[in-house]
Amino acid sequence: MKRSPLTLQRQLFGSLANSAFTLALFALLVWAGWGVLSWAFGSAQWLVLRANAATLTIGRYPDAQEWRLWLLLGMLTSLAGVSWGRLRGLNNWPLNDRIAALLFVISAVLLPWLLAFGAINQLRLIFLVLLLLLLRQWSGGAWSKAFGKWWALVWGITYVFGLWLIAGGLGLPAVRPSDWGGLVFTLLITSLTLLLALPFGVLLALGRRSGLLLVRWVCVAVIELIRGAPLITLLFVGQNLVGFLSPNGFAPDRVWRATGVLTVFAAAYLAEAVRGGLNSIPMGQQEAARSLGLSSVQTMGLVVLPQALKVALPALGGQCISLLQDTTLLSIVGLFDLLGIARSVLANPDWLGRYAEVYLFLAVLYWCSCAALALGSRALEKRLATNYS
Amino acid sequence: MQPTKQLMVQAKGVQKWYPNGFHVLRGVDLEVFRGEKVVIMGPSGSGKSTFLRTFNALEDYQEGSIVVDGMELNNDLRNIDAVRREVGMVFQQFNLFPHLSVLDNLLLAPTWVRKRKREDVIQQALSMLERVGISEQAYKFPGQLSGGQQQRVAIARALCMEPRLMLFDEPTSSLDPEKVREVLDVMRLLALDGMTMVVVTHEVAFAREVADRVILMDEGQVVEIAPPDQFFNHPKHERTQRFLAQIL
Repeated sequence: MKRSPLTLQRQLFGSLANSAFTLALFALLVWAGWGVLSWAFGSAQWLVLRANAATLTIGRYPDAQEWRLWLLLGMLTSLAGVSWGRLRGLNNWPLNDRIAALLFVISAVLLPWLLAFGAINQLRLIFLVLLLLLLRQWSGGAWSKAFGKWWALVWGITYVFGLWLIAGGLGLPAVRPSDWGGLVFTLLITSLTLLLALPFGVLLALGRRSGLLLVRWVCVAVIELIRGAPLITLLFVGQNLVGFLSPNGFAPDRVWRATGVLTVFAAAYLAEAVRGGLNSIPMGQQEAARSLGLSSVQTMGLVVLPQALKVALPALGGQCISLLQDTTLLSIVGLFDLLGIARSVLANPDWLGRYAEVYLFLAVLYWCSCAALALGSRALEKRLATNYS
Repeated sequence: MQPTKQLMVQAKGVQKWYPNGFHVLRGVDLEVFRGEKVVIMGPSGSGKSTFLRTFNALEDYQEGSIVVDGMELNNDLRNIDAVRREVGMVFQQFNLFPHLSVLDNLLLAPTWVRKRKREDVIQQALSMLERVGISEQAYKFPGQLSGGQQQRVAIARALCMEPRLMLFDEPTSSLDPEKVREVLDVMRLLALDGMTMVVVTHEVAFAREVADRVILMDEGQVVEIAPPDQFFNHPKHERTQRFLAQIL
């Protein structure tokens, strides 16, 4: 629908009452905006962020091992650059490419400077963004075609390698998961949980539709029990009960226990989203596939599930965003995710009372992460949808 | 001429009840011979589609027996899979896979069921599309095609498995009138090639021209089986006369 420029005018100033409302609301907005701005540039003390930037980013990760995080970031950046370049080559790549590149450059230069990162770290970040943009530029050629075939595998291997790099062991000094923290920890546990929960959720959804009664009952029980309990209670169960029940020393690290609880929790919700998708696929699709001789597993994997996941994509994207936000509950059970580490900073007498500055910063960070997820899922939707007329 | 007529389908006393207790097939017998074209007609609710769908075990049945190409359709899942590999089916709603291109719709079963290499079957698939007259649409998606084109793709998709028997379940019933002909033309060609066909349809002209025998089903039973000339011009059974009076 095309909207004439007059429509907005009519909606805002159509009648006397409308005009009055519009002006009143506008005045309110100006007043509130002025208040925030005068606080931000006046009485707010942003030093708390500058002084704790490193803590908020990586938590209590040992300084001497910091290079491992940089190495991982470098690998992820390279992969992202190559993938971006290849995706850009597709004819229906939906994102506005130049604006995205510009945003990266601006944030890589501006943010570290605002947060007073050391000069070396600033240079490193600028180097990484250059790497990203250069790879994006170059990776249209033949050598990346081979990558196109294998990129799921390459990403997977990099991810597992990254986990090992962070955790250590096998030659590297081990860093216990309880010492991870901050933004890195939040992103890590969110991505790990999602990677585990998606296949688990699909299996639960399929099990719930299974003809085998026992399988179906178990899946229904798992889904409904999990959905019937608040996440925070499940997290407490995972942190406390599992510790009591397992013999001394055998309980997995608290981080892994939390990951397990988050995974099962997310899987139950993802399963319902997938089930909605499965229900929307007409029986005729299955019948056609079976009549061609495809087995029931092939029918599910090649015909029904790809369509169902596409239908479920908006709901799945929403669940991913919820999960990212749910990780803040980990701060309540004593883990140092982004919110947890912020609370520990605020507990330091040096920074007493700097709540507004820190929490506003966190809100912006979370908003950016969630917005990225939302944009990603919208882009995927668009890309898949153009297959139809 | 063949020395002896070979049986392709042999259905004996097939009975089926729906889970709600409705007795949909009440002892149906039918023999279809190799190369034969059989058209099944009947009012809606007569069980004709259900009967057709028992031939590749999309519907089960409780009593009687069905043997397709020498394989009995019973609870043996291997037999069911084997029969489905040899029997192609075309549906009223086309049932193309909307997430795959036209070409991939055709290649799915040969590559996954017959385990053949994509490069080896791609030529066959393209020539199959040419045969049904839509080779220029190979890289489009089903949603971009008209109903008639979609149904022709569905026929080509079934043919790519090189079936010995083709089942058509009201293949033109959900098409715009002007698209019916292009689908029937493809089916005529297929009949000329000697394909064994069982067709549930209301297209009288097609039945007259192509069928070796026409069947009237009503209330889960076969009422009359006759060559088309006799079926349409001198029906023996009173129920057939009434049915024809309504559709002709």
